[in-house]
Amino acid sequence: MVLSTVSVIAVLGVWFCLTSSGKIISPAFLPAPHNIVIDFFRILRSSYVGNTLIGHTLVSLQIVLGGFFLAVAIGIPLGILMGWFKRIEAIVDPLFQLLRPIPPLAWIPLSLLWFGIGIKSKIFVIWLSAFVPCVINSYTGIRLTEPLLVKAALGLGVKRQRDLLREVAIPSSLPVILGGVRIGLGSAWMTLVAAELLASDAGLGYMMQMARRALEPSVVILGMLIIGVLGALMARGLRALEKRICPWVVEEEH
Amino acid sequence: MIRSVNGNQQPEKLVAQNVSVLYEKDDKSFLAVDDVSLSVQEGEFVVIVGPSGCGKTSFMNTLAGLVRPAKGKVYMDGEEITGPSAERGVVFQQFALFPWKTAYENIEFGLKYRGISKEQRDEIVRKYIRLVKLEGFENSFPHELSGGMKQRVAIARVYANRPQVLLMDEPFGALDAQTRTIMQEDLTEMFLAEKRTVVFITHSVDEAIYLGDRVVIMTARPGKIKKIIRITEENLVPDRRNLNYDEVVNLKEFRDLKGEIWGLIKAEILEKHIL
Amino acid sequence: MGHFAEKFLDQIYQEKIVLSLSSVLGFIFLWYLVTDLLGLMPAIVLPSPEKVFFTIYEKILVPVGEEKLFGHIGVSLVRILVGTGMALGLAIPLGILMGWYENLDAIASPIIEVLRPIPPIAWIPLAILWLGIGLGSKVFIITIGVFFPTLINTYLGVKFVEPLLIKAAQTLGAKDKNILWEVVVPASVPLIVAGVRIGVGLGMMCLVAAELVAASSGLGFLIMLGGDDLKPELSITGMILIGILGLIADRIVLNIERKVIYWKKE
Repeated sequence: MVLSTVSVIAVLGVWFCLTSSGKIISPAFLPAPHNIVIDFFRILRSSYVGNTLIGHTLVSLQIVLGGFFLAVAIGIPLGILMGWFKRIEAIVDPLFQLLRPIPPLAWIPLSLLWFGIGIKSKIFVIWLSAFVPCVINSYTGIRLTEPLLVKAALGLGVKRQRDLLREVAIPSSLPVILGGVRIGLGSAWMTLVAAELLASDAGLGYMMQMARRALEPSVVILGMLIIGVLGALMARGLRALEKRICPWVVEEEH
Repeated sequence: MIRSVNGNQQPEKLVAQNVSVLYEKDDKSFLAVDDVSLSVQEGEFVVIVGPSGCGKTSFMNTLAGLVRPAKGKVYMDGEEITGPSAERGVVFQQFALFPWKTAYENIEFGLKYRGISKEQRDEIVRKYIRLVKLEGFENSFPHELSGGMKQRVAIARVYANRPQVLLMDEPFGALDAQTRTIMQEDLTEMFLAEKRTVVFITHSVDEAIYLGDRVVIMTARPGKIKKIIRITEENLVPDRRNLNYDEVVNLKEFRDLKGEIWGLIKAEILEKHIL
Repeated sequence: MGHFAEKFLDQIYQEKIVLSLSSVLGFIFLWYLVTDLLGLMPAIVLPSPEKVFFTIYEKILVPVGEEKLFGHIGVSLVRILVGTGMALGLAIPLGILMGWYENLDAIASPIIEVLRPIPPIAWIPLAILWLGIGLGSKVFIITIGVFFPTLINTYLGVKFVEPLLIKAAQTLGAKDKNILWEVVVPASVPLIVAGVRIGVGLGMMCLVAAELVAASSGLGFLIMLGGDDLKPELSITGMILIGILGLIADRIVLNIERKVIYWKKE
């Protein structure tokens, strides 16, 4: 659309004009757009506060994915069990509801106290932030299983709880469960960034903090953009996975 | 000047001249209406029937001004119709009531844009609430009303706005058979009390004969006019509008007309393999 | 069947209550056991329940950092309220106009689509660079957090309003601007409020994050201070209070939702 392109060009143009001379807006405050591109290539392969851009990105990704998969592995089964077996729900739910309102980020200082500044403390909070949506959505998905489907299965000879769970409840809940996984990934990513801002010696968040202290906003902005792009890519990847696993779901727009 | 399509004495309220309408779905476009010409007299009650998907709604949308015809033109009072207007009120099958407004507020809606004072609006709204027999429900919200009641509000809303033309797109389609009969009788009563020009779409041949002055039978898609049957004193009783539905429906003349019209529609369905 | 089924369900219900209560009590007891009675955990790592309780009591009277406990709560409250207010004041009107006027949509969309995927927390270093450590940077982050979900939902609500309602309004004589404000906006309210709810939840997280990273007052600051000073009871205090604050905020939005969508059936 013409208007969109014009708007983008206009914004870039104004930005360029205000920043290129360095006198209207100082480069310590906001860099010129072309400088950001230059810096991008500068730190891509060469070291910046201990690692290349690619290096920092990989460090962040590894930690996020580690904590995330752990959360999925524990959270989904737990949520499913909670949803299906009332007894388990009765035991676990109250504790869950007590701890749930506390934002995962708020656990960071305690986590640092318990696990030190290393990877373990970060994985803990990331795990926590992905864990909660996984459990909630798995639980909700199972609870919302269409009773009609269960009755149909019973009428077709499926008898054991275990089989009902496996053949009816879980498959029909998959869309909701995967939705929870998607939320969990987004949450995990956010928590990682926060954790790296607070106490880290590597990773994108650390890179941004260092750049801020050195008054290099272009690196900060680069970090932000990469975080944004990665987050969007992960979300899109998960959505594609959802479509593969649950082809029967009708997509609503957006 | 517009050529008169059926050479009658009465002024022509609505004229459709060689109207064709395109309908788009999933990046494909179909011809929904194919070269239809029709003229509606002032004060006439015209009913359009036809097989499913034959373009009745698309055609009515051009009369309403909600859709521009791909070919041909539509006129009201000699002037080309270029957009929707309060002079051509529409009653939709799905009611289209504003859920956050009460029945009263819904009916009042159009009146606010006519510069009518609050006291006068109140008078008009209450009059039409009485007319559609919804006293006591003025302050109810749509979700608290039954299907039949919702449609009464929709009809009152349009009627209160005093449009010159009433366009009704299967307004009773979503109602059960009993409510439907009552609504048909009520509509006839209203039509007798305050005559407007009405174009009415329905699937039901019974409804068409009971309500209409003329029945326009359309072909299957792309819709053309197959035949127009005039309901007059010759082929039905003179005062059918003053009789109850059940009295009219059992008359031999009614059954004959129904046989004729339904025969034509059925032929369309079978010929064009719609089912 | 009736009476028997009732008794059976009652039994299950009672059983559930018993199980739930015992699990909560068990948890507290375990906590107590591990910290006080058996002394398994040094107080530096995990304080006992009573220690937390007394800390709360103490800090109401004695300041921590610059404020007493209620002072910290107040500061956090101000930040979240100002941030939410600014965000709603920007996002809702913009969302409505973008959803209705295609030209505005075309102009603003590319910029928004670039900024939206960036998590609000990622803005923190830039915010500190630009606005320092005062109220401004925290309000900035919270505003960003609340802004985007609200904007998107408002936009979607307006853009995808039931077309039938618009047609009905047109055939009743309403013109473009009237239709926008009298039909489309009221019809979008459910989605707008849903967006606000999501936004406020996100805003709370942003509050915590901003106060953890760069603050000298507030609940997040308390949590961080507890970690720095090796006083986990402070952290736990902050965490509990933030949790309560979040619940209250969500409750408030839910109530607003109920009031504003008075026409929907439950």
